Parts: sequence; structure tokens; C-alpha cells
Amino acid sequence: MTSLVEVQNLSLRFEFTERDILSELSFSLEQGESIMILGPSGCGKSTLTLCLNGLYPRELDGTMSGEIMINGKPTTSYKPGQLSRFVGVVFQDPETQFCMLTVEDEVAFGLENISVPREEIEERIDHALHLVNMENFKQSTISTLSGGQKQKIALACILAMKPSLLILDEPTANLDPIARMDLIQTIKQLKKEIGFSLIIIEHQLDEWTELADRCLLFNKKGSVFYDGSLRHAILSQRKEIEEEGIWLPKVVQQLLPYAGPDSSVIPLTLEEFSHEAHLWSNAQWEGNAEKNERETQDVFMECNDVSFIVNGQDILKNISITVGEQEFVAIVGANGSGKTTLSRILSGLQRPTNGTVLLHDKALHNWSETELRKEIGYVFQNPEHQFIMNSVYDEIAFSLQMKGIREIEIQQRVGRILEHFGLTDYSNEHPYALSQGQKRRLSIGAMIVDEQKMLILDEPTFGQDASTNEEMMRMLDARYRTGTGIVMITHDMDLAHTYAERIIVLYKGMVVADCTPAELWQQPIEVLQEWGIDLPIQVKIQRLCEKEDHDYVLAST
Amino acid sequence: MIMFLHQLNPTMKAVTVVILVVLLALVFDPVTPSILLFSTVLLMLVGAKVNWKRYFLYFLPFLLFSFGMFWTTLIFGKQPNSPDEVITIWTFEFPRESFIVALALALRVLSVAALSLLFIFTTNIVHFILSLIQQLKLSPRIAYGVLAGYRFLPMMKDELKIIREAYRIRGVHQATTIRGKWSQYKRYAIPLLASAIRKAERTATAMESKGFTGERNRTFLRQFTITKKDWLFLVIMLALYAAAVYTSSSLGFLKLYDGEL
Repeated sequence: MTSLVEVQNLSLRFEFTERDILSELSFSLEQGESIMILGPSGCGKSTLTLCLNGLYPRELDGTMSGEIMINGKPTTSYKPGQLSRFVGVVFQDPETQFCMLTVEDEVAFGLENISVPREEIEERIDHALHLVNMENFKQSTISTLSGGQKQKIALACILAMKPSLLILDEPTANLDPIARMDLIQTIKQLKKEIGFSLIIIEHQLDEWTELADRCLLFNKKGSVFYDGSLRHAILSQRKEIEEEGIWLPKVVQQLLPYAGPDSSVIPLTLEEFSHEAHLWSNAQWEGNAEKNERETQDVFMECNDVSFIVNGQDILKNISITVGEQEFVAIVGANGSGKTTLSRILSGLQRPTNGTVLLHDKALHNWSETELRKEIGYVFQNPEHQFIMNSVYDEIAFSLQMKGIREIEIQQRVGRILEHFGLTDYSNEHPYALSQGQKRRLSIGAMIVDEQKMLILDEPTFGQDASTNEEMMRMLDARYRTGTGIVMITHDMDLAHTYAERIIVLYKGMVVADCTPAELWQQPIEVLQEWGIDLPIQVKIQRLCEKEDHDYVLAST
Repeated sequence: MIMFLHQLNPTMKAVTVVILVVLLALVFDPVTPSILLFSTVLLMLVGAKVNWKRYFLYFLPFLLFSFGMFWTTLIFGKQPNSPDEVITIWTFEFPRESFIVALALALRVLSVAALSLLFIFTTNIVHFILSLIQQLKLSPRIAYGVLAGYRFLPMMKDELKIIREAYRIRGVHQATTIRGKWSQYKRYAIPLLASAIRKAERTATAMESKGFTGERNRTFLRQFTITKKDWLFLVIMLALYAAAVYTSSSLGFLKLYDGEL
């Protein structure tokens, strides 16, 4: 029997670039098999997707060599559009995968492309929507759906075309944790029911691991350095994995430091860990990163009874919170709970409908824009939105120049920031030409050069890869330690747990919790779930261990 | 019957409306367009489900425009050939000829507006584009491109708002002069275009990976055909036009258009 996919010596280079994005890549995939592709950012994982579905080399500006066989036939021998019957892709961005206005039309679009007869289209739409539990949304306008729902529709569009291979190109990167879990559950269920082959490309691989039969590890050069089970790779390829900056499941990250060189097993999921927690009793769980200790706290900002109403809808209801000087606060909550609106009100971008916001005891709207910006900086979700100038240097120097600071001093201050953020070599580049992680660093660097007292960040980790996030958090933490207050909106409970002194939980526009992380995790699990909060991995592991000890004590007495 | 206008083939409806507009342009008198205006609105009442408040809102600018035209033509129009014949309105006297020219112009604007609104208020844009592919052989490449672009507009509006705020945060003051505003919008254009291009590229990739080739050999979930109803609509509209012209000529108003303003 021929393999479903057979890739041999695939090399690919874009025009005007110095090096191959994929080099000498070979692997194969059998019918019904699932693999996971792991590798650092920019290792060509997404490029490979486009090779497999036949868009490259047809649409490629560059050169490609080697061979890709799908069902025993080279991809180049398929007519345009024909491969979509065999290979379906769900992409990362839920906003840009659709071209029609309603769900029904969108699912139909793919079927129309491959000339499915009209009577059958209807049937297949219903079936596909049923598979992803979205039957009730058939007539809905796509733009009214949430990100998670959009991804399910994207999946339904592909399933309707009945491909034998499904490629998931980071489909959950732009989703919040709840929508993410929901999508993964759906895919797991479908895999069982339909049994398609699966290629999973993900940075955050928790929960995916049990789906994959094998994993391919890519290095920065775009070739495969390991092809086999993930469990084995973690032990045998430990050094390479670290060097390449490949992200491992969170459980593994937590446990790896305690695994001896001769460990033969390592749990990949919490589920697995729960069965063998006793094996890890020697581990000393790392405490949280040290947070600034303070006795009394001066109030920096204060919200009094703030409400925000749009079109008669309460987005925020009677919010009263304070933010202390030099404090690290995380604002968490489900999508649509009003987090972003609150951050915009705190930053003075939006005036509340009712209530007042005080900064140093003076109402926010009484501050002049110039003075206010010296106090509060705001980092947007998408770094590109913030770029104003044509070079990295000018970007950072911009706010200093606006203030009329002497050129010589500007040079020094910009130089420091460039060095600190690892951008010195790029000072003449255009901000848009940077990599994703560099853009993120620049957006923060350009913001903090002003040395504001507080920095507000709106989901800075959204859509970024794991290593970028880690790097960014290190920088923010360094800033925090030198006395900058930080207010961060996030979905990532691990980050909140590790870095924040205090967590504010929003639920349907109201503050339902305002306490330290440790206190928050004490809440009953059902309550947390209702609020859209998942326990951080450290807490989960600790709980499992405690439970294990407890059971052990019970058993022995 | 109530949804008659909604059920018509969008392309045929558009063609009918265009034919009527052209025919209207051929004549120049107040009676023909007023009869057509009246019957178009009547047709909407009978054969369409319309949010009349919205309809009126859309009509308002045309009303203002046509009133402005009426007034300026009346006051500043060219000298009439027979200035002695006058019409009195509210004690003001106007030459009869100028008055009729002004009225003809204003009503013409209104009846074209009514015809366009008939189309807009009873047609789904997506259906119209799909029908253009099926009836007028519009290339799917262009048609689906337009549809995808249509989705982008609200996204770009949101993005513009964010970019403006980002500039504010960076301490760029909002421009107050027109020239300042212009250069500010030019600056906004770069991030806006960059992200639009990236989004368009992603959408195109997603479309192609779903098997879209831009070629004509595809099936349609929504099949649009031209039926008797559509011909009936065309005939009704032409008959209305003929009746209007006939009435106008029997009243002695009918005049072919001769470049008047």
C-alpha cells in the first residue's frame, strides 16, 4: 500500500533570501496516522503546509526541489484545486479564512469549488455542521461568531470536503483557553469517528500529545532531526530540543528538571502524571518568582464605581478597584467579560459612562494628554499597530524627540533600550521587516523608553509563539523589579500565577475576585470554571501530589 | 405576492432598473418621472417587505439634493423663451417654462433614486454577485474577490480606530488643520495597508486551499435562474413607463431630452 504522504528531499527557498526555509526534508505519513510537527519559529512549518496542499510550487516566488507524493502521485501532477479533495487545512487566524458572509455559504464555498452537485451540497453542509456541533448556526453571519466558533466553522468547511488528510496549522493560537479546549475536544472526537490522518502544527502542545502517533522535530534550518515518539524524544533529544527552543508540554517543563538522566518515562499529560505522582515525590516544586515585597502600598490609580454602557448593554458594571504604585496586576476573565474595555478606561483611551478614574487623586480626564502619557504607557495586542516611524531607531527615539530632549541624550537612551532588547543590529531596519518576536520587543521598548510609572498591556501574548512570550515576560519582569507598575490582561494563568502580585477577575462586566493568586486558586473549581479560569499547571501538579500523599497516608493507617 | 420584488432574479432586476433609468433620461418633463416615482413607491408597498423608516432615511439625501436642484434651476436657469407666462406660488411669480424645467429635473432625480432604492432594498448583495456570475458570466475570480473584500471593510474600520489610539498613546497629537489631518491619514495608511495586504494574502491562501481556482466550472448552492416572474417584472415596468409617457403626451407635457439644465 502506498503512503498517504511521502516527502523526499524537499528543499525550498524564497526569492531574495539567503537560505533555504526548508532543506532536505523527508518523511512519510500513512493512511489514518497522526503526526505532530514541532520546531522553533520560522523553521518553515507553515511553508510545508502550503507545499502539502499543492499551493507551492504553483504560487511560489522562489525555488523548490525534491518530491512530495500524495496518494502515490506527485503534487505537481494534480490540477489546481484538485488536491483540496485530499488535503484540508485549518489555519491560525479565524478572521481571514472566510470569503462569504454566512456560515451556510461559507461551507458551501469549498463544495462548489470541487463541483459537488447542488443536492449533495445541502446534505454535506448539515452533516459537517453537525460534526462540529454548530447546526444552530447555519444561517448565522460569520462576523457575529466568536473566535472559537469561527475556527469550528473553518473546520466544518474542511470536513465537508471529506479530505483524507487534515492539517491543523496552529488553529488554537488566537483562541482563549476555553475555546481552545473546546476545539481540541471536538477534533479528538472527530478523529475517533472519522479517522482521517492528521498533521498538527502547534506551539502549545498540551492536550494534543495523546492524539499524535509520532512527532517530527524541525531545527532552525528547516530539516527534520528526529522522527519518532515524543516521549522518547524528550529523553533522548533533550539537548537538541533545548538548543532549538522547541516548546514542550507544560507538565514536561515542570517535571524535566527532576527527571534523572536514566528516567525511562516522563508523563506528557496531567492525566498520566496523576497515575504516577508518587514517583515524583522527591521533586521540590519551585515557588513563584519572587515578587516585590511591600508593607504598605501607595495608591497609584483608583476606579470608583466605573460603568461603561454601549447601546444599552452593560460592558462594565460598578467597577471599583485600585492599582498600587509599582504593582504587578493581572486582569483575567473569559472573552467578552470586559477586560479590554477596562484596560482602555484605565489608560484614558476611553472615558467611562459613569464613575471616575483617579490617577494620583486627580481625575483622569483632567490630566493633559502629554502629562498622562508620562505616567501610563499602553501596549497593544498587535505590535504593528503601534509603529509610526520608518526605522527601529526612530521608532524608539520618537517619544523622546517629541519631548524635545537633547539629541545626545536621546542617542544614549535609545542605545540602552536597543541593547537591552537585543535590537542593536536592527536599528536601521524598518519595523515591519522584523520577525514576530522582534516586533513585540520593539513595541514594548518604544513604549517604555519614556519611563512611565505604569505599563498597561492588552493580551501581549496573543498570537505569539511560546519563546517570544517567555522572552517578553522576562523583560517585563526586569522592568517591574526596577519599579515600573504593570497591569496585564491575559488568558494565561501560568503567567498570572508566576508574575502577578494580584489578580483581578472580571465576569460579565463585574469584578468577582480581587486577590493574590494563591487566594484565587482556593476558590471552588466550579466557580473558577464559570469565570472561565483554568488552574495553572504548577497548582494542578502540586494538588495531584498532595492528593497522592494524602491517599498514601490514608492507605497506611 | 408580498415578497414579489425580493424573489426576482437579482441580475434581471438590475437590468430592468438600468433600462428604466436610461428610458427616463430620454424624456424631459415633470409628468413622466412623477408617475414613475409614484408607481415605484407603490410597487415597493405592494411587493416588498421594507423597513420604511430606513427607506425614508435613505431617501432623505436625494430629497434634499433634488430640492436644491429645483431651486437653483428655478432661480439661475437660462432665460425662458416666453417670460410672460408665469406661475404664482405663495405670491412669488416664476416663469412657467423655468418652473417646469426645474420640476422635471427634480422629479427625475427622485424617480431614479426610487428605482435604485427598489433594487437596494430588495436585493441581497451576495445573491446579486452570485447571480452576476451565473447570468452575466462575471468571472468567479473577481466576484469572490469582491465578496471577500466586502468582509474586510468593517475589520478595517476597527483597525483604523486602534491605530489612531496607538498614535495617541505615543503622544502624537490629533491634527486640527485640514492639511495636518491629511498627513495624519497618510501615516495611518501604511499600517492599515500592511495589515490589509497580509489579511488578503491569508484569505487568498485559505480560499485556494479549499479548492478555489477562479474558474467557471463550479456548482452553486444558490442557483439563480431567470423565470417568467422576471420577464413579468420587466414588462410591468415598461408598461408603467409607456403609460407615463402616454399620459404626459396627452396632457401636452411630453418633451424629449435635449441637454437642458
